[in-house]
Amino acid sequence: MNRWLDRWLTLMLLALLGWAGWSCLHWLWRGADWTVVVTNLPLYAVGSYPEAERWRPLLCIVAVVVLIVITLLGTRHGEWRRSLPLLWSAMAPLGIWLLAGGLGLSPVGTQSWGGFSLTLLLTAGSGLLALPLGIVLALGRRSDLPVLRGGSTAYIELMRAIPLIAVLFFGQLLIPLFLPPGVEINRVLRAVVAFALFAAAYIAEDVRGGLQAIPPTQREAAAVLGLSPRQSLQLVVLPQALRVALPSLTNQAVGLLQNTSLMAILGLVELLGISRSLLANPAFIGRYLEVYIWLAAVYWLACTAMALLARHLEIQLDPVRSAR
Amino acid sequence: MTIAIRATDLVKSYSPGLNALDGVSLEVSAGEVLVVMGPSGSGKSTLIRTFNGLETLDSGSLDVLGLRLDAAHEERQVRAIRERVGMVFQQFNLFPHLSILDNISLAPIKVQKRAKAAAEHLAIELLDQMGIREQAHKYPAQLSGGQQQRVAIARALALDPEVMLFDEPTSALDPERVKEVLDAMRQLAKGGMTMVVVTHELGFAREVADRVMFMDQGQVVETSDPQTFFTNAREERSRRFLSQMM
Repeated sequence: MNRWLDRWLTLMLLALLGWAGWSCLHWLWRGADWTVVVTNLPLYAVGSYPEAERWRPLLCIVAVVVLIVITLLGTRHGEWRRSLPLLWSAMAPLGIWLLAGGLGLSPVGTQSWGGFSLTLLLTAGSGLLALPLGIVLALGRRSDLPVLRGGSTAYIELMRAIPLIAVLFFGQLLIPLFLPPGVEINRVLRAVVAFALFAAAYIAEDVRGGLQAIPPTQREAAAVLGLSPRQSLQLVVLPQALRVALPSLTNQAVGLLQNTSLMAILGLVELLGISRSLLANPAFIGRYLEVYIWLAAVYWLACTAMALLARHLEIQLDPVRSAR
Repeated sequence: MTIAIRATDLVKSYSPGLNALDGVSLEVSAGEVLVVMGPSGSGKSTLIRTFNGLETLDSGSLDVLGLRLDAAHEERQVRAIRERVGMVFQQFNLFPHLSILDNISLAPIKVQKRAKAAAEHLAIELLDQMGIREQAHKYPAQLSGGQQQRVAIARALALDPEVMLFDEPTSALDPERVKEVLDAMRQLAKGGMTMVVVTHELGFAREVADRVMFMDQGQVVETSDPQTFFTNAREERSRRFLSQMM
């Protein structure tokens, strides 16, 4: 009796799933009108960047993609491998130079930055600022000096208690009020700084977790060898702590990428901002589903690439595995 | 004979009323091997950890290689001593993220500012001496306990210390791995190294020690040559400890 009910339920559910899947596919293939995405691909990539200079942000995106592919699938040849960290660290300054111009390129103001290139820049810029700040905060929270410890703890707790969107509004709207008239900080820069200040609090807690995982005997062993406290931190404790913290730091990085979409509310035209302005265009009225599915796919791809890179890094940093 | 370590009336307490060290005095001559024995909690580990400033003293005076290391010592003084006093721990405490070679050459390069090539050459030489040259490019997690402890000894020796401290170096090892570590220590003693060894290895103490010091409840109960200590200990407490060990 029960068995028949089970079979019937299973079949019904399978049929339901099949029907839902098929109608989704059918809509994607036949029902959806992808012109809104296809005709605006350049806009998604580079925003309203001056047409003559579009190759610059495009080159930026291509460079990142190529670097990701090389890192993940690249040959095992030592020469190439060893230059990878250098290539990666050169990526951020290169990207800023390409986007902003100067030094031989015609300058382009941040108001015309947009699309995926802006999303990349916001993520990379704020991440690179937040990581060192987070490490300093984590060390401060474990310091023996009460002022340093209290200050770091207060900062971390305060930042974690405020929603990101409030921090961003503060960065965009309130800071200019405090500045003397005439002094203006760039909007993108303000966003990056606000992001970094926020993310640093979370990164600090991840790093602190890593620091706590390193037994005090490691510090002792370093001290006994005559290493100064600073050398012990730099050469023995931090490398191990950061490796422990890497999975949670990956989490933060992925979160950071997705949270850049909040900047759309503040008027930056990154991926979500572009989508919103496209949807406001009478030519594409009502194409919500297409636009948001496309958006989800782009974010998914970017986050997956990030997760794969982090996984790759974890394996590279595992001494036993990379020695084999 | 020159004195390597001279301790007078060392007192150290972790909690009020309970002294981990309760007026310990001793002298270790250069080239001597002193084995420290005693039940757990007798203060023997605490004692040798004061010799390189891992533990601070509440009172008493301590002289290590002519440098003062008492209650009010300075950080710089401690580091000067640590470069000249090697230490081996019960749990090896190798750096898991560094290869064996890097574990050994780290301090010579960073503390003594030696050239990388020279430091690595020395590291290989020391590994050879320890009989584990072929492990140089592996990582600590890939080695057995006995091999790790021999790396730890090599790491300490790389700074060319004048005194070596051993804090129960074989207590965390599988029984069949104990011998290889003791052999390395034996070799070191033969070479004339000044050694202070906290251990429960009676055979090692009997064979290698110049003197055996027995501690209980933070005090030195007796110090004798090994022959006397193992066959004819003066104090009742030593005899009771020995009868429990054998």
